[in-house]
Amino acid sequence: MFEKRLYCHMDWGLLAAVLALCIIGVSQIYSATGGWTEIVETQVYGILLGLIALTVCLTVDYRTLADKSHFIYLAIIVALIYVTLFGAVQGGARRWIDFGAFNVQPSEFVKLALALMLAKFVGDHRARVLSRLDLVVIAVFTAVPLIIIGRQPDLGSAMLLIPVAFTVAFAAGMPMRLLGVLTLLGLLAAPVVWQFALQDYQQERISTFLDPSQDARGAGYQQIQARISVGSGGLLGQGFTEGTQGQLRFLPVAHNDFIFSVLAEEQGFAGVIVALGLYLFVILRALESARLAKDRLGAYLVLGVLASFTPQVIYNIMMSAGLAPVKGLTLPLMSYGGSSMIATLAGFGLMLNVRIRRFTN
Amino acid sequence: MTALKIAVVVAFGALALSFWSLQVAQHERYLEMAESNHQRTRTVRASRGVLFDRNGQVLVENRRSFNVSIVREHTRDLERTVSLLASISGADPAQMLDTVQRHLNEPVYQPIVVIEDASLAQVTAIMARRLDFELPDVLVEEFQTRQYPGQPLAAHLFGYVGQASAEQVANGASSGAIVGQSGVERAYNELLMGQDGERHVVVNSMGREIRTLDEVPPVDGHRVQLTIDYDLQKATEDGFKHAGFNGAALIMNPSSGEVLSFVSLPGYDPNGFASGIDHDTWASLNSNELQPLQNRAIQGRYAPGSTFKLVVATAALEEGLVDPEHTVNCDGGASFFGRYYRCGLAGGHGAVDMRHAIEKSCNVYFYRLGNMLGVDKIHEWSEKLGLVGLTGIDLPNEQESIVPSTKWKRETTGERWYPGETISVSIGQGQVSLTPVSMAVMISTIANGGTRVTPHVIRAVDEGGGWKMAAPPIISGRVALLPETLSVLHDGLWMAVNAEGTASRARITGRDVAGKTGTAQVVSNEGRQAALRRGSEVRSHGWFVFFAPQENPQIAGVIFGEHNEHGYLGAEVARHVIETYFAKQEHRGLPALEVAPVPNVAPTRDSESVLFVDGLPTEDTVPMTGTF
Repeated sequence: MFEKRLYCHMDWGLLAAVLALCIIGVSQIYSATGGWTEIVETQVYGILLGLIALTVCLTVDYRTLADKSHFIYLAIIVALIYVTLFGAVQGGARRWIDFGAFNVQPSEFVKLALALMLAKFVGDHRARVLSRLDLVVIAVFTAVPLIIIGRQPDLGSAMLLIPVAFTVAFAAGMPMRLLGVLTLLGLLAAPVVWQFALQDYQQERISTFLDPSQDARGAGYQQIQARISVGSGGLLGQGFTEGTQGQLRFLPVAHNDFIFSVLAEEQGFAGVIVALGLYLFVILRALESARLAKDRLGAYLVLGVLASFTPQVIYNIMMSAGLAPVKGLTLPLMSYGGSSMIATLAGFGLMLNVRIRRFTN
Repeated sequence: MTALKIAVVVAFGALALSFWSLQVAQHERYLEMAESNHQRTRTVRASRGVLFDRNGQVLVENRRSFNVSIVREHTRDLERTVSLLASISGADPAQMLDTVQRHLNEPVYQPIVVIEDASLAQVTAIMARRLDFELPDVLVEEFQTRQYPGQPLAAHLFGYVGQASAEQVANGASSGAIVGQSGVERAYNELLMGQDGERHVVVNSMGREIRTLDEVPPVDGHRVQLTIDYDLQKATEDGFKHAGFNGAALIMNPSSGEVLSFVSLPGYDPNGFASGIDHDTWASLNSNELQPLQNRAIQGRYAPGSTFKLVVATAALEEGLVDPEHTVNCDGGASFFGRYYRCGLAGGHGAVDMRHAIEKSCNVYFYRLGNMLGVDKIHEWSEKLGLVGLTGIDLPNEQESIVPSTKWKRETTGERWYPGETISVSIGQGQVSLTPVSMAVMISTIANGGTRVTPHVIRAVDEGGGWKMAAPPIISGRVALLPETLSVLHDGLWMAVNAEGTASRARITGRDVAGKTGTAQVVSNEGRQAALRRGSEVRSHGWFVFFAPQENPQIAGVIFGEHNEHGYLGAEVARHVIETYFAKQEHRGLPALEVAPVPNVAPTRDSESVLFVDGLPTEDTVPMTGTF
């Protein structure tokens, strides 16, 4: 199945950059958790499993995977419903399936399944413009997992499905006018969503973001501490395992949501530039594979995967500098989290898959 | 596709700029915030100096104790913390909340002490509550607390310590510092307190200390030796307990002014103040009508009764008005200015000279001397003997003793002096109002032949290089008493104890104790019924002043019995003290005194009926103008 020809077209630069980010992540988790802990170990296993997933997603032709996308999509939806009903509760949200030895968070895999599903759906399309019905179908495919995840509740992950749908639909020829109308509708709906759809803690996080000092011990505390961590890092940082904010636990969930703050504190602006550069490189290289893709399916698939990866990276980095409201969104490739790591690396497997098969039939 | 690339590049460029702004442009500011996050300055308390008695016995020391504080910086819900902490420790939540409210203007990281000197059980219960999770804002700190003798002893002498008051902070004490609030603790606070140190520490987000950055070690307070003799102090207090009345006593070396024993009763337990007193105890101490917080030895002022006759005798002899052989015929009373003043002995003493007048405490004899002297001469000689104003003892808040004069009366009341008032004054009633400490100075002056010593309680200080004797206070004054004056006074005082006098209860074979009793009315005869109806205490105060031995006295002092009715009851206390003193001098076993296990409180007013059974041999009668 694996051909030498494909091996030659492999994007080694992208893979190296991805691995570099994983290693930076592990080292900062090591620092934030105080040494070689179980958490670091889990993360390393996550990366290894992720690399296996990457290899699998790379080896099987993406077109074959796309043909099976409706099965994958359905399986994930079932898993999501299972989680919502019987899942393990952590941090107030029902997100995990407990397998005893390890937990799996199906919502991490929804992004991939949705990207695959939508790419397949619009990739098969012959028309230059999407019909109204097509758009409704896309909306339904997106809305089903979005609503389920939103009720876990995991609003952050749920929202990340929206750019996936929009990017694929837009690339496939959704009229710009419609995009404008939907944006307007979204703005008008915002107060209603605020009132009825958001939970208390979510409202609190957003209002605290607008004025962190109003709640310096609660939600605003994390934001202030994140900003202090980043700011105190300076140009060259406090040094590995020397950051007081992370080491002395002023920074909450430092190894997870705020791993980038730890990096900024200990490695300074220099470290931040390196990490930002790596992420930018990864995204640009991936976009390049979308351009090079042999077929529309491949291009849509790459865009669909990137459409959740990129906003998540940008949002988390903003949050870790106290520039965005605190949301339980991790930083892909760096934050602690096995499911997220496996899903992200699998996503890169898909994107690399499109690239190496750009000359095949 | 290019548009997407540009969008991503712009977004990352914006991120890089934001991080530049935070990390480089505003670095200083955030670095400072990070430091104030995790660096704290903690006070390291200096150990307070230990107090020793004159023989090196420890009187007041320090012990380990625990304070429980709330650090508001880590408080999420103050009421929850308080109610949880109160239920664990069994403290009063309302009071705890009140304590926190009083410190609200302090920095949030400053621990607010809510349980002072927590018991070990409380500390264990609190520590068991996983402080990091359930009570992240609760801090248990170990420190040193004052340890006073378990059985309250010399409470008013030692005084107590407490957190610096607002006034003390204004005068330079640091906020929250433990400073002496009364007694020796206050008088010698500077020596005892030492200098608190500082520790610069790194704390984690829960406020727990991680490591020390640097430390300025505390300078411990100096050790201080008092002139007090523990055994004598105990003997005096035991004497009072045995006798069953309250009052005050001051025993000293008559030639140096070194105080050997300092008593004010009822006492209190200074351990209750050592780390802060609870509201209830404080309120009950303050509202107690026996006023246990009053230091009677230096703050209580009482009419001296017949002990004052020594002053009148001295004045008359020194002024040359009479000679010792001057004899007065006492037939039980005498009339002055149209009023009849009675003597203590209903039938009269017959013909008495001055020695016998002192021995028997004949009022008529001293009425006549007083009348001859006039109040101003009495005032003058009172001052020379140490009875006017302050004695200058090295303890805080001494009250001035008062012996009236024509000038004094004009200045205080604007009225002129009536010669009749002098008659009452000459037996120590009327406006004469003296502190026990001034009485101790007076009897010492008579004992040592005219040197007015300044009583003091500090003997030596160890400032780190071993004991150094404290400089003795300056002599307050000297009056060269005529030898014959001294001989008459010493004879009369010896006879009062050893012949047919009023103070035979102080007699110790071979010790030649010299002493004089006094009983002072607290209300006039006319006022007595009214006072009784009011429910006031009307029983007389009893005094006993003494020195021993008569030749070259080594020990002198005063026993004041509050409402104990008879001066001679104090003589018994004095005898136990003197016996203890000589036993120690001669390295014999200390004399035992059976202390009845009765609480040391004044009898209730139910015993009125007993109070006024006349015929008990009081040595003094009731002067017409006796008031207090």
